[in-house]
Amino acid sequence: MKNRNLNLEVHHVTRVEGHGNIYVNVRDGTVEKCEWAIPEAPRFFEAMVVGRQYSELHHITSRICGICSIGHTLASLKATEAVMGIKISEQDLKLRKLALHAENLQSHMLHLGFLVLPDLLGVGSVIPLASSNPKEVKTVLRLHRKANEMSNLLCGRTTHPQRLMPGGFSKIPSIKELTSLRQKLKDSVPDLQAVAELFKSLSPKLPDFTRETEFIALTSPDEYALYDGKIGSTDTGTAPTSEYLSFANEYIVPISTAKRAKHARESYMVGALARFNLNYDKLSPLAKKTAEMFDLKPVCHNPFMNNIAQLIEVVHSLEDSIKLINELEAAGLKSQPDYNKPEIKVKAGGGVGAVEVPRGILFHDYTYNDKGYCTKANCIIPTNQNHGNIELDMKALLPKILDKPEKEIELNLEMLVRAYDPCISCSTHCIKVHFV
Amino acid sequence: MKPKVAFFDFAGCEGDQLQIANLEEDLLALLDQVEVVSFREVMKEHSDNYDIAFIEGSCTRLQDEDRLKQIRKNAKIVVAIGSCATIGGINSLRNYRELDDVKKIVYGDSAKLFDAYTARPIDAVITVDAYVHGCPIDKEEFLNVVKSLLLGKKPDIPTYPVCVECKKNENVCAFERGQFCVGPVTRAGCNSCCINEETICWGCRGLVDNPNENSQKEVLIKYGLTVDDAISKFRLYFGWQERRK
Amino acid sequence: MRIISKENFTEFVNALIKDSSLNIIGVKAKGDKFAFGPLESANELRLDYDVTLLPPKKYFFPQRETLVTYNVGKGFSAKNPSEIKPTVIIGVHPYDMIALLHMDEIFSETKSDPYYFEKRKSSIIIGVNIQKMSKWCFASYMGCTTVEFGYDLMLTDLGNRYAINIGSQKGEQLLDKYGKNVDNALARDIQLVGQKKREIMAMTQQKLDFPPELIPEMLSKSYEDSMFWEKHSEKCLACGSCVLVCPTCYCFDVKDNPDLSLEHGERVRTWDGCLLEDFAKIASGENFRPTRPTRYRHRYFKKGKYLFDRFGFISCVGCGRCSSNCLPNIANPVNLFNDMYHESQNSGVQVTAVSTPEIKIQTEGNIDYVPRLATIIKKQPMTVNETLFEIKLDDDSVLGHKPGQFVEVSVFGIGEAPISISSPPTKKNTFELCVRKLGNVTNKMHTLNVGDKVGIRGPFGNGFDAESLKNKDLLFVAGGLGLAPLRSLFNYVLDNRKDYGQVTLLYGCKEPRELLFADELLALAKRDDVEFKPTVNWCPENEAWTGNIGVITTLIPEVNFDPEKTYAVVCGPPIMYKFVIADLKSRNVPDDHIIISLERRMKCGVGKCGHCQINQVYVCKDGPVFNYSKIKGIPEAL
Repeated sequence: MKNRNLNLEVHHVTRVEGHGNIYVNVRDGTVEKCEWAIPEAPRFFEAMVVGRQYSELHHITSRICGICSIGHTLASLKATEAVMGIKISEQDLKLRKLALHAENLQSHMLHLGFLVLPDLLGVGSVIPLASSNPKEVKTVLRLHRKANEMSNLLCGRTTHPQRLMPGGFSKIPSIKELTSLRQKLKDSVPDLQAVAELFKSLSPKLPDFTRETEFIALTSPDEYALYDGKIGSTDTGTAPTSEYLSFANEYIVPISTAKRAKHARESYMVGALARFNLNYDKLSPLAKKTAEMFDLKPVCHNPFMNNIAQLIEVVHSLEDSIKLINELEAAGLKSQPDYNKPEIKVKAGGGVGAVEVPRGILFHDYTYNDKGYCTKANCIIPTNQNHGNIELDMKALLPKILDKPEKEIELNLEMLVRAYDPCISCSTHCIKVHFV
Repeated sequence: MKPKVAFFDFAGCEGDQLQIANLEEDLLALLDQVEVVSFREVMKEHSDNYDIAFIEGSCTRLQDEDRLKQIRKNAKIVVAIGSCATIGGINSLRNYRELDDVKKIVYGDSAKLFDAYTARPIDAVITVDAYVHGCPIDKEEFLNVVKSLLLGKKPDIPTYPVCVECKKNENVCAFERGQFCVGPVTRAGCNSCCINEETICWGCRGLVDNPNENSQKEVLIKYGLTVDDAISKFRLYFGWQERRK
Repeated sequence: MRIISKENFTEFVNALIKDSSLNIIGVKAKGDKFAFGPLESANELRLDYDVTLLPPKKYFFPQRETLVTYNVGKGFSAKNPSEIKPTVIIGVHPYDMIALLHMDEIFSETKSDPYYFEKRKSSIIIGVNIQKMSKWCFASYMGCTTVEFGYDLMLTDLGNRYAINIGSQKGEQLLDKYGKNVDNALARDIQLVGQKKREIMAMTQQKLDFPPELIPEMLSKSYEDSMFWEKHSEKCLACGSCVLVCPTCYCFDVKDNPDLSLEHGERVRTWDGCLLEDFAKIASGENFRPTRPTRYRHRYFKKGKYLFDRFGFISCVGCGRCSSNCLPNIANPVNLFNDMYHESQNSGVQVTAVSTPEIKIQTEGNIDYVPRLATIIKKQPMTVNETLFEIKLDDDSVLGHKPGQFVEVSVFGIGEAPISISSPPTKKNTFELCVRKLGNVTNKMHTLNVGDKVGIRGPFGNGFDAESLKNKDLLFVAGGLGLAPLRSLFNYVLDNRKDYGQVTLLYGCKEPRELLFADELLALAKRDDVEFKPTVNWCPENEAWTGNIGVITTLIPEVNFDPEKTYAVVCGPPIMYKFVIADLKSRNVPDDHIIISLERRMKCGVGKCGHCQINQVYVCKDGPVFNYSKIKGIPEAL
């Protein structure tokens, strides 16, 4: 629009985790400024873990994020286990995968139901929906609660799980508890269906916007990779997770206390859409059906579709959880002593743990000395890796919507940010630290 | 007239606010008793007219102080939720780095980064009327504090250590399992939830009012921890409280 | 005695488990420890255990128990007991059995606890003689390694079979109904059981250096030895572990839990412990056992002296749980008592065994935990912090109190607080409470209005003996809020003026605006059959005051009285007693002419929960009114 003047400052975007600001300045139709700035206080986690014992690191790094604590804990444990050569049993592997599914279920349901749905229904929050759309809200709450019950069963609790530790679990559920969980998951399918149909009816409200970008996620020939895999990219080939630095090239921008990252292009995207784009054929049958409902196929370059990809992942996580419990039951759940104490031989060295958390690929990289104390740590958070892409998407979207009223432009830009489901306080976990 | 409540977050992981979202159906019952006028994570609307302010996260920069003071001005009651807000939480771990003279931390180019100072609980800056301890908060305890505030009574927060709850839950003591626990000096109220999961108490709810710290450190050492590791354990969550003594 | 093979015993237990009308509990492994828990199959049972984490008392006096439910403004009701399934507990060791017998007496003294006994009555206890003994166990010294009664059935492991002693008809019927191939024991079996029981003593690894009969006296003599108690308690973490795992501890706390609607709620009792820091703290913030040595000492005294004096048994069965659970290892009674014994030997202190007191426990009905609904019919603020409430019971009954007694007032949703009754029993249909706003309950009460409902339990306490004071000269000494309970006696005396001799009231406050019952005092000043002297500590400039200025003891010299005929009735803040009593004694008032009323943290009101205990007396039951001659020997009192 030729003569459009616009000055937009969205201070602390709502309905996202953490604090982010949108600054837009348009003069006579020319975009002079379009910025995604992070003012969040840095938290110095990489400094905090230095000097701490290997047995404490997962407890500390869990506190990077309240929503992805299971993911952070698992990435942390994988890094520690990589350094010390600790192997976990096949059973514990399955239980950890279940834990990650529980997190995916919980986080995606919270995001879709509490943070995105209000935009699609034209309200400010889920609170008025409790009276205007009680059935839908109760369905979301039910699914969310079941996801929490699942993580309570596997990890002790969703936020800052206690049962996860180097070498396995401090306590595991009984087979009776797992089969009862399986039934609960099966019983949730109608609720899930209702949510999918709700989003299908609202999907026209999601802008039809694309900007070609690179997608990065874990991939695996065996499964839809969440817990294990190699780093995959839609632009380049795969690489082992130990080579993460060649993918996630972090850099600092002055307007942001959070770092950004780039690889083959100026920016890349991680998260549900990235995983969908890279691992579509490994999705569970019902998940693929859900994708068909929305006509979503790889490779999709519409960031707003990240929301739909999350919905598809909820279905996949549910189905795959049922499959994992079936496998555990068939193999017979081996009980462990009332208090589990894995044999750990402390070793010096470095190691990387990578895991897909709801928001994307997460890397924890630790170095330990021969006494088992951490000497160095590096964590690359999914949202850090998305910040660059968010800003470039904003810059591409803005000219296309410049003819709309100001409130609608603001809403669209916020919806764009929300589609990424950013976890901003995680992404400001650290600032580059030089020790002299 | 339902009291108006607002939620704010500072330097933290937002896990405590997530716990409130995790109230699930109880959240709806809670909404019958209070009117939420500001909760950035969950709603677009915001109002500065609130009676009760719930604050999560530590104060880690000078610019946070102004925001805290403004909230204190607006609210009749301020409640600190979560360890970061009540005792400095895990953030206070980094306070030990800054005071280490051998290493100096050099910041990058951005001047904003110089804003960081000693991470502290919010009561270091403003008066706090009620505390919901824990990392994360316990949902039941949160509801109990809210109910107490609605009834006009002082919330009943234990002054005794986690051992009380642990013994009632008939747990095998962590020390008997070869683990090192700080439950004996940590404030109860969590129903010993971590020891129930066969791990230890890490101290996330902060020290009791009059802990016998020397005795606890001696116990840790007696059971096999080195002196340095015992001191290190006290720094995990007690960093700010220890410094204050 | 009967005999059953181990296979048949397994069948017996499985048959019990199969019966869904029964709740079957047994000792199971928990890690490398043991605990009582529900049995799903007989092979979970570990009768060869040494000691359980928690004693079986948790089934009769649970960690957490709802006593009462309430509906705001409408009333309180007892928690419905109908859900109690008959419970069979398998594997109780003799020391835990004896502990239950102790608890039976404690919970039935004067008033009986209905919640405890309904569970006791519906349970069947199958004991087992000790096969393994924990290294901390010293039950052999406490005479608790074996027990001859109290159980319903008692098992002894004889290798491939169990000998079963029948302890009750209930036990015999259980065995007959669910057991198969149960034979009568042969002489050889009986002999073997006797031998096994003798062998148990030899398993003891602890060593008490003196006969346990000396414990009560030894403790008495050590009370003042603060260095001893400080030395032993230095490492105490106040974690409460020692008391929470103890089979004979029974202190509890009571709290109200509203639901989210705030319309209903429940009153819950939970285990409490005298070792915990705030156990003896009251709403004003005063803590009557603020230091570790005083709390640490109290536990030993309660077990070894106070309960011995009150019930005739040392309330410790030697199970060793306190010792094994104490992280700094300071809770072992054997170590403490040995040290105490050697110290007394070294200092030449003579200690003898006292004879066991002959105690017969009297029970007069059940404890009533359920408050009665009452209405506030008058509300009269007297000062900034104190308001006088007039209360009428909704069922129109008369409270029927004695002067000096107190009630437990429940404010819906908040809790319960003890308040002294301020009006004499001559005022029949209603009673008055002077309430100072201090804590949650009293603060909320101040916001209530005429017509609002509260709950009332009581009256509790012993009250003043107005009869015995007839024809005597009375000197009332009231400090601050102490006037409130004294008024119940004072006004009673005025209502029956001719029955009493000279009557004097000395009343002191901090400053004039804190005077309670100001109108009544003005009227009192005009009477010529009463001498009334008020005083204030100081008078601010903007207040008018023509009376005395000085602490209350400054008034005593102004009063003429004959110490032989005069009885002093004293009530006020804790700090006041020492000075007033000293002054009275300097005027030759005999010890037994001084009557005081004390305040403590009170919860149950009936001498069970332990909070108001000062040394061996319960303020709620043996007090709050005490004769100085009796209380001067009680160190924690004043």
